[in-house]
Amino acid sequence: MKKKVFAIALAAAAALTMTTAVHAEDNDELVLFTWEAMFPQEVLDAFTEQTGVKVIYSNFDTDETMLEKLAQAEGGDYDVIVADDYIIEQAVQAGLVSEIDRDVVTNFGNINPLYQGQFYDPEDKYTVPYGAGIPLIVYDPTLTDVEIKGYSDLWNPELADSVAITANYRVINGITLLSMGKSMNEEDVSVIEEAGQKLLELAPNIRLIQDDNTQDSLLNGEASAAFLYTSQVTSVLAENPDLEVVYPEEGLGFGIMGAFVPSAAPNAKAAMEFLNYLLEPEVFAQCMDYIGYYNTCSAADDLVNPDLVVPDSVTKGEIIQNVSAEADEAYNKNWTEFKAACGQ
Amino acid sequence: MKKKNRWGLCVAPLYLFTLLFVLGPMIYMVAISFAVDNGDGHGFFWQFTVENYTKMTDPVYLQCFTQSFRLAFSTTLLVMLLGYPFGYFMAKLSERGKKTMMFLIMVPFWTSSLLRLYGWIIILQAKGVMNGVLMKLGILERPLKILYSYPAVLIGMVYALLPFMILAVYSSVEKMDWSLVEAARDLGASPARAFLTVTFKLTLPGLLSGVILTFVPSMGLFFIADILGGNKIVLVGSLIQDQLTRGSNWPFAAALAVILTVLTSLMIFLYRKITHVKDLEGIF
Repeated sequence: MKKKVFAIALAAAAALTMTTAVHAEDNDELVLFTWEAMFPQEVLDAFTEQTGVKVIYSNFDTDETMLEKLAQAEGGDYDVIVADDYIIEQAVQAGLVSEIDRDVVTNFGNINPLYQGQFYDPEDKYTVPYGAGIPLIVYDPTLTDVEIKGYSDLWNPELADSVAITANYRVINGITLLSMGKSMNEEDVSVIEEAGQKLLELAPNIRLIQDDNTQDSLLNGEASAAFLYTSQVTSVLAENPDLEVVYPEEGLGFGIMGAFVPSAAPNAKAAMEFLNYLLEPEVFAQCMDYIGYYNTCSAADDLVNPDLVVPDSVTKGEIIQNVSAEADEAYNKNWTEFKAACGQ
Repeated sequence: MKKKNRWGLCVAPLYLFTLLFVLGPMIYMVAISFAVDNGDGHGFFWQFTVENYTKMTDPVYLQCFTQSFRLAFSTTLLVMLLGYPFGYFMAKLSERGKKTMMFLIMVPFWTSSLLRLYGWIIILQAKGVMNGVLMKLGILERPLKILYSYPAVLIGMVYALLPFMILAVYSSVEKMDWSLVEAARDLGASPARAFLTVTFKLTLPGLLSGVILTFVPSMGLFFIADILGGNKIVLVGSLIQDQLTRGSNWPFAAALAVILTVLTSLMIFLYRKITHVKDLEGIF
């Protein structure tokens, strides 16, 4: 008898703790799902201090894993997710993203409009951009007299045999199209072929095509101008602050990371509060300094590392998207022809 | 006799292994080369086509082949000119000298070849060791732009493949019966004539092994061209890699690989025909 009473008491106690656990998850916890090292710990701690909501940081390796897990959870389990542009588009199409509650996210206006209205969220209903990767031109003014303002200047004959570029075929095709006033995602094969012809004219200026440590070419004197990824731009400026960074006048090509709240987020209220908290200038600046990507929150421009701020004069930007198989084949062919021409 | 046969069974797993993992993939590759790429970047479907082969006649792709052959020929020629005398004189050293030399040739292999190539970048780059020394000595006024050019790739290829030629020639010269040279000299041949008619002829199989050990890999060593050539010299190897990864066109990649294999085999056949060498030391 005693034993039975004890068992019932135990079961009751277990039930009680379980309800409190669920209760806690509803109000006091926020599950943040993103890559490793995307937020400084101080920022998360300060949020807990302000709101009493504990942030549980959960990692994924690739965008695809994230989408798979989110789909399995039917839009639940996670409260805030930060991922890449193209995967967000797929998540939105699958109905796994909830709209941003502008009544809670009152700081929404702090976002730099350059990064809004993009293909994955054309009406800015679902996402808060959280940092952008932007390939830019960097040049050494002591090695060349050419004043580089945009992509077209890379074609300048004075830069013969002294330009280094990254090796992504779509990006290089893309900047050629931008220099022609076209879209980086051009689908018209005849226009792509035209870009291929123009790309061939760039060949005599190319010193090297490389994806890893491309920035070294500016330091070891191999190249006087280079088209580099974000992390390479920051690292080369740290080595030699006298280099000039160019925000090409034809417009930028970029990749954006976006924060969103899943459709069935267990603690959606806290999630919206978290997004609003992120968009506070001091907080956002701290985050961008930490991850080293370009600042996507205008209000934080004055606070963040100035190397991570795109000047206001730049008003155009585009993201590389998937194109049709025919267009992709044309891009590939342009690239092979271009590389072969560079070796002549 | 019976006993010997049973021992033969011991190598059966080896034959099986070869059949499964060498011949098998080869057949698979040839089969894929006649399939159709499905266009969306994921796989192919089985439908017979020769389009993958006709596509190669496009000047862009033909250029990759000529570029590869040009590089392979010049590499082989240079390696031959440097490696033959090296191997020859190495075989004439004292026992101690031979051992030391062998050791020196082997030491670089203890380091990754990729790392050694990066070493060449440090030597060749504009603000690198070579230009620094030449400018200090007043031989150059402005740095030579040699890195990321054809000569840089050639240097890298010769560097990587020279040991194979040296060792092939060395083993051939070392085995040679010197009394035959002495006989030629006794019969009145000049040293040059004795060398050409006796020594060279007898060491030709070694030289040819060296040529094949150099030529065949040099058709495929595209990473040297990528690293030292700044990705600008597109060899068939890099084209195949591109088609497998970025282009995701497996059938075309397979067709390129088949043609590369056929052409390389053809070259080996021609070398043997021209030189009349029947047995290649260490290879066949």
